[in-house]
Amino acid sequence: MAKFLFYRVLQALFVLVAVTLIVSFAIRLTGDPAVMLAQGAGSITEADLERIREALGLNQPFIVQYLEFLKGLFTGDLGRSFMGGTSVSDLISRALPATLGLALASLVISIVVSIPLGIKAAVSRGKWPDQLIRIVSLVGLSFPNFWLAIMLVLLFSITFNLLPPSGLEGWQSFIMPAATMGIILTATNVRLVRTTMLETLRSQYIMVARAKGLSNSVVLYKHALRNCSIPLITYFGLQFGGLLGGIVVVERVFNWPGLGTLAFDAVAARDYPVLQGVITVLSLMIISINLLVDIAYGFVDPRVRKS
Amino acid sequence: MYKKTLMAQVTGKTATLFKVGALAAAMMTATASHAGSLTIASPQDPGNWDPIDTFLVNWAAVGTNIFDGLTYRGPDLELVPGLATSWEELDDGKRIRFTLREGVTFHNGEPFNADAVKFTFDRLLGEEGARGPQRSNYTAISHVTVIDEYTVDMFLYQPDPVLLTKLAGYGAMIVPPGYIEEHGEEYFNEHPVGTGPFKVVEYTPRSDVRLEAFADHWGGAPKLDSVTYRFIAEPSTAVAELQAGRVDIVLPPTIPVGMVESINNHPNSQVVSVASPTVEALRFNTQSGITSDERVRQALIMAVDRQAIVDTILSGEGSVIASFQGEQSFGFDPELDPYPFDPQRAQELLAEAGVEPGAELQIDVRGNDATFGEVAQVVAAYLQGVGLNVSIQPYETNVLLNDIIPAGRTGEMFQQKWGGWTFDFDNTAYLMYHTGERWNPYDSDATLDEMLDSQRSITDRAERETLLQFVARYTKERALEMPLYSLNALYGVGNRVENFDPAPDNRIRLTEVDVSE
Repeated sequence: MAKFLFYRVLQALFVLVAVTLIVSFAIRLTGDPAVMLAQGAGSITEADLERIREALGLNQPFIVQYLEFLKGLFTGDLGRSFMGGTSVSDLISRALPATLGLALASLVISIVVSIPLGIKAAVSRGKWPDQLIRIVSLVGLSFPNFWLAIMLVLLFSITFNLLPPSGLEGWQSFIMPAATMGIILTATNVRLVRTTMLETLRSQYIMVARAKGLSNSVVLYKHALRNCSIPLITYFGLQFGGLLGGIVVVERVFNWPGLGTLAFDAVAARDYPVLQGVITVLSLMIISINLLVDIAYGFVDPRVRKS
Repeated sequence: MYKKTLMAQVTGKTATLFKVGALAAAMMTATASHAGSLTIASPQDPGNWDPIDTFLVNWAAVGTNIFDGLTYRGPDLELVPGLATSWEELDDGKRIRFTLREGVTFHNGEPFNADAVKFTFDRLLGEEGARGPQRSNYTAISHVTVIDEYTVDMFLYQPDPVLLTKLAGYGAMIVPPGYIEEHGEEYFNEHPVGTGPFKVVEYTPRSDVRLEAFADHWGGAPKLDSVTYRFIAEPSTAVAELQAGRVDIVLPPTIPVGMVESINNHPNSQVVSVASPTVEALRFNTQSGITSDERVRQALIMAVDRQAIVDTILSGEGSVIASFQGEQSFGFDPELDPYPFDPQRAQELLAEAGVEPGAELQIDVRGNDATFGEVAQVVAAYLQGVGLNVSIQPYETNVLLNDIIPAGRTGEMFQQKWGGWTFDFDNTAYLMYHTGERWNPYDSDATLDEMLDSQRSITDRAERETLLQFVARYTKERALEMPLYSLNALYGVGNRVENFDPAPDNRIRLTEVDVSE
């Protein structure tokens, strides 16, 4: 186990370095932040641009800038935003809870809805509840999330005036963005739960359980669901990581003060330090989630625990 | 200059469908916010409130309420006294003596005086200013000397005809010496203190900044108690907030032309527009290819119906221009007419210049600019109408601005969007036409260079205006670009806002603005 963990951490470090290297390199190909900062300026000259570049440290070769960033990373200093010099760590620590909260709320909505629906569809395979659930989930899958978000805002904020259209002000603020993400996740997850459940229900131990005369719900929820949970936990765990990345569009539409909005603005402004910081934190989280998913197997499946 | 579009009000309310919305909106307004507070959506957080650290227009929208300059320029673009009550140009415009306003205090109680003015300019021209983008606007200033507590002399290296205008904005805003020395530069960035009509109460980066009225402002206390600026980049989100009654004003450049109608159709909101300094043109590669011929360039301009573009694509929210400047620009000549729309003459000129039908022409545009994308399509269609084979090449904005234009790697034509808050044609003309400038990769014209250089040292306004007008006429005759239009600044305004006067440059001072309950 210790050896396994050691290799996983080493692997994680390698991924982290690779990701930050690619991101730092790629964003530098897309344009000069000095020109961005000087936009709307009066008479900006090449000398002014050079002066701004120097102040931002952009006159250094790429590899020096990158090593500087890595050095900062290991001392916990992610640098300062090009847009005004705010500390990147401050920006991220302010945005992270908002993003995690939203991702978690979306995932919870999706799990709570998709497990019972998925099971129902599996049990009544081929009959009308199954057909209906599959059609509805197909419709859900086909929604682009920004469109769904705008429709929700039009309905609940503009027409009925029930929910705040954007921002994070209280629990009400979570409803629409979490539902937007949740609905789309649910559409995928229902299908996943259904397929996994169908496979499990075909297993011999389920037949044995039924033969023992156990009630239908005990068979379903105690025996089948528990065995389904390994692939499901893996999937939900990975999905949480994916959610963190995919949340950008929804955050933008709802002006959510999270990492997605931060990253979006950073790309637009060529704010290298902020973008590098956000990507690093996101990669760190996705890497740790993968690690946690591996460990979680052990709790659910005694075979993994013992090996 | 100030156009109000109210048509929607009536149509919206008569339709039953909208009644629900109207009722809800009315209820919302009652509960939205308490008396005397206003919420404004701004598309971008400048991230720093220090006047010398930014060039962003969205800094100015807020900054103009926190700070004062020696001079002040409001929505009417007239230069009036600010923290200086009067000034006098001495030594052939190389020294300006300012008499300062007495009895003014900063938000922290610190007195405003000659020392504060000297400190502000020492800082701007010194080490701290060198790190920011603002200094380049004020390089004409050598130094400031204190004469007595309420008099300063500003010494210039050479006369700068635009200097007094520049003193009304951005980097020349007066800052408190004691406060900055006590708390440090970094603290000042997020906790700014000025002499303006509102003081900053709380700033949450990337989210909002809250301002409170400064009752001791020298111009009298503002009518509002408090103002909150929320940073909302997405247009549909900002408009949803406006229509839900949670935002009162949406600042430009948030609202795209395509949303104007739906905003006006909602009972709770309307669009108020004013001519802005932003102008758009398709500039030519005057060095090589078919556009190196002046006749071809003139032909291309005449082939395009620019008025039709403004009327249809911009829904009338703009005006056709004859040179690369709008009507408020210093150097604008009302006598100068744009080239007429005359496809027949265009074809004659093309034939004269020996351009074969089917000749290739490429237009480079910013890929993320949806409105201009449509404009480019229409231009291409008109040019195809006179026998050219046109392709549109979209670039990522930064790539176009950083790599393609300055390096002279554009197609025959390329989009240039321009605008300067000084509203002075020098700010455009010098950078677009002077030999060797970043935005002028192709052209070199000795006559133009000479005119552009000499106008910079003329302090007589009338004489300088005539020269700038001549520059405009000259560039039109040489057809250095296809001038398209000047754009209107579009403000989304909620119904409870009173006394709102849209500023062409986004610098809305909120002293007179009020809200109804």
